[in-house]
Amino acid sequence: MNWKVNFGVTAGVCVLLPFMVPQYSLTVLIEALIFGLFAMSLDLLVGYCRLYSFGHAAAYGLGAYSTALILTQLQPPLPIGIVLAVLVTILAAIPIAWICTRSTGVSFAMLTLAFAQLGYAMLFRFRDVTGGSDGIVGIPRPSGPLGITWFQGKTGYYYLVLGCLLGSYLLCRAIVRSPFGAVLAGIRENEAKTIALGYNTRVYKIATVVLAYGFGGLAGALYAAFAGFASPELFFWLVSGRVLIMVVVGGAGTLIGPILGGVFFVFLEHELSQVTDLWPLIFGSIFIAFVMFAPEGIWGILTSRFNAKPEVPNSASGKETSDAAA
Amino acid sequence: MNFLGFVLAQCLSALSQAAILFFIACGLTLIFGIMRIVNFAHGVIFMLGAYVGYTTVAVTGSFLLSLIVAPIVVGAVGMAFERIFLRYLYGRRDGGAYLLLTFGLAVVLSELIRIIWGAQPLSAGIPDSLRGIVVILDQPFPLYRLFLIALGIAAAVTIWQFLERTRAGLLIRAVAQNSEMVQALGTDVDLVRTGVFGFGCAMAALGGVLAAPLVTAFLGMGTTVVIDAFVIVIIGGMGSFLGSLIGSILVAFVQVLGAYYFQDLALAFMYFLMLTVLVIRPGGLLGKED
Amino acid sequence: MPLLECKGLVRRFGALVAVDAVDMSLAAGKIRAVIGPNGAGKSTVFNLITSVLKPTAGEVIFAGENITGLPVHVVAQKGIARTFQLCHIFPALTARENVRIAAQARDDQRWRFVGGGRVLSRSAAIADEALEHMRLTRFANVSAAMLSHGDQRLLEVAMAIAQKPRLLMLDEPTQGLSLEETDRAVQILKGMLSVGNLSVLLVEHDMEVVFKLADDITVLHRGRVIADGLPAAVKANAAVRSAYLGGSE
Repeated sequence: MNWKVNFGVTAGVCVLLPFMVPQYSLTVLIEALIFGLFAMSLDLLVGYCRLYSFGHAAAYGLGAYSTALILTQLQPPLPIGIVLAVLVTILAAIPIAWICTRSTGVSFAMLTLAFAQLGYAMLFRFRDVTGGSDGIVGIPRPSGPLGITWFQGKTGYYYLVLGCLLGSYLLCRAIVRSPFGAVLAGIRENEAKTIALGYNTRVYKIATVVLAYGFGGLAGALYAAFAGFASPELFFWLVSGRVLIMVVVGGAGTLIGPILGGVFFVFLEHELSQVTDLWPLIFGSIFIAFVMFAPEGIWGILTSRFNAKPEVPNSASGKETSDAAA
Repeated sequence: MNFLGFVLAQCLSALSQAAILFFIACGLTLIFGIMRIVNFAHGVIFMLGAYVGYTTVAVTGSFLLSLIVAPIVVGAVGMAFERIFLRYLYGRRDGGAYLLLTFGLAVVLSELIRIIWGAQPLSAGIPDSLRGIVVILDQPFPLYRLFLIALGIAAAVTIWQFLERTRAGLLIRAVAQNSEMVQALGTDVDLVRTGVFGFGCAMAALGGVLAAPLVTAFLGMGTTVVIDAFVIVIIGGMGSFLGSLIGSILVAFVQVLGAYYFQDLALAFMYFLMLTVLVIRPGGLLGKED
Repeated sequence: MPLLECKGLVRRFGALVAVDAVDMSLAAGKIRAVIGPNGAGKSTVFNLITSVLKPTAGEVIFAGENITGLPVHVVAQKGIARTFQLCHIFPALTARENVRIAAQARDDQRWRFVGGGRVLSRSAAIADEALEHMRLTRFANVSAAMLSHGDQRLLEVAMAIAQKPRLLMLDEPTQGLSLEETDRAVQILKGMLSVGNLSVLLVEHDMEVVFKLADDITVLHRGRVIADGLPAAVKANAAVRSAYLGGSE
């Protein structure tokens, strides 16, 4: 299987990276991987269901703040704290998903945005708990279980994030190739028809939103524990905007495209922000260019150039090959 | 305290708020009526209006001038955007492209504003000519807010008459109903679209200029507003001018009541309203009864 | 007991009565054609039966169960499969995947989001069978959008039969097909119908197709049933003739 080789090689390279780059780059790399994960989580919605969320920052923020509160208040071992935070995010996502999926299109987008704004407002309302505009600082990385401490250092944390990213990717890949994933493709292509075939598409959409929040929450959790603090900006609409841009420019519906989009944007931002203040403007303009001229995104363009195999697509870009339904 | 006076003060407060909301919402609904797209950038357009208005006042010292200049400038920006970018997407199967494009515009404009004007909130304050208090039934009421109400009524009536009585208004309504037919009859529908888009942006910008003295011009003022405008348009009916008027008044009253009774929860209250509306009428754009 | 019964179906759109007290029944294993001039309400009746539209009044009874107003996907799960007048398929997916998703809809394990390999192969097998039936196998790996209009309509029928329905509802399946495509479609349908215990409700404009396939005919005109019975009787019916006077087929 071709993809397994590609995956193995990529994973191998990533494992070796900390030894090939200087320590200060590692920080950016970790942030890049976290954002790649965040972008991939949104791709489930945007690329596979064509549900445009303008409020995905809510998932990120929920994950970050849950982690912050859990780790500062309860001090469980870090991995357990992160798992708990993801669970909290998923639980919160269920009613959000239920409400948002009552609509499609612009209404869906507005609802997701409203929830993100609501989260932002809630942070200030309950400032005793959330620290208001200061946020929560001093998030620890408690050791354990069983006295494990390798993730407390930067290199160790890199491997933690890498593991989460690779694992999440494998899981997402399995999901989009599953019977469930096929229904998502149907919803994307022609929802009315999918319903007429006998699928309760609402439930599928709710599940996808919850999954997207779960993976997005994981990204937020990893960020909070890495940065050591969580602040309200995480819920800001421009964060939602940024990740949406990464997904579209990277290549919606490919999983890999958004990951790469996230990674490269973080690096680009890091480099550009030292040179100019205009980088958000540049990103926004690139985004518009892609929406107009290259909606399949960078990865979509690259794979269509090199992939001559007959495709059994399950994704919006039609770039995946199906090794399941063969 | 004079209860009647108090109620009147609350009503007038709500109405002045409704005026500003109306300027934004009517633009949004007209754009939807003509183009069948929701301009997500509408909130940022509003914000741009506030900032351009501020600069006009700072440079010329005339608030009146800013009321004219800002809508024209921002309207032109809107028309340019429609002409260059939106039009490119006509005929695309995927409705999501419009959503993303107007979103991209929102991001780009937002950043441009930050670059040009900086991150600090700006305000020239209420112009001297409109400062002052009017006492109605023993209740003090800001003159500026009365001015807003007057302007809102004037605008509503003018636009309504324009749509109903003039030939151009008829054309706009026709395009909103059946653009292909109108095109077949020889009208340049593209021109109408560009014009209406520009007008919608101009109205939102006017709202921004008027709002700035009250809330200052600040980054992020657009996000809340676009959601408010969207809720109004959903309530009033997408594409319905009268609906945008009624919706604005309704939402303004809810906001004022919410602020009074729920104080610091006011912001959250507004979002609960939005969620409620969209949950009850999720059809939104499609508006199917089934 | 008839497989499908429509009792007094009414559907109003404001002042317009699109469907006016329509009674119709379909016995198991039979084919009933629903014909009528344009705007007679044929597709609306289909939409009422499948719950895409809710009736203003009246009932739909399927296999003894009142399915009026149930959610669309629930009605489909009861064993009703339909095609649409404006061909509804999944354009960017391959023909095979189109049909496979349709076949998967009746699988108990269709919700599986990990490890659904067996579901995928089960539904793939049914899909291949359906494609074979409709003589579309050579298009299996072709993107559905690239098929000709006629083949797309056949693909939609393939999707419908892949659902293994008890009731197959075809809404103008031969619309836009050339003469030879129509002949081919009729042959295929006839072959299919003689094999399984399938019941069919068919909206058609092409009278030749109707008389080749239908056991019974219902004639609609302006939302009302103006004739109902065997093909020969309907053909001779004066009201039917006058309704079609100057009409199209």
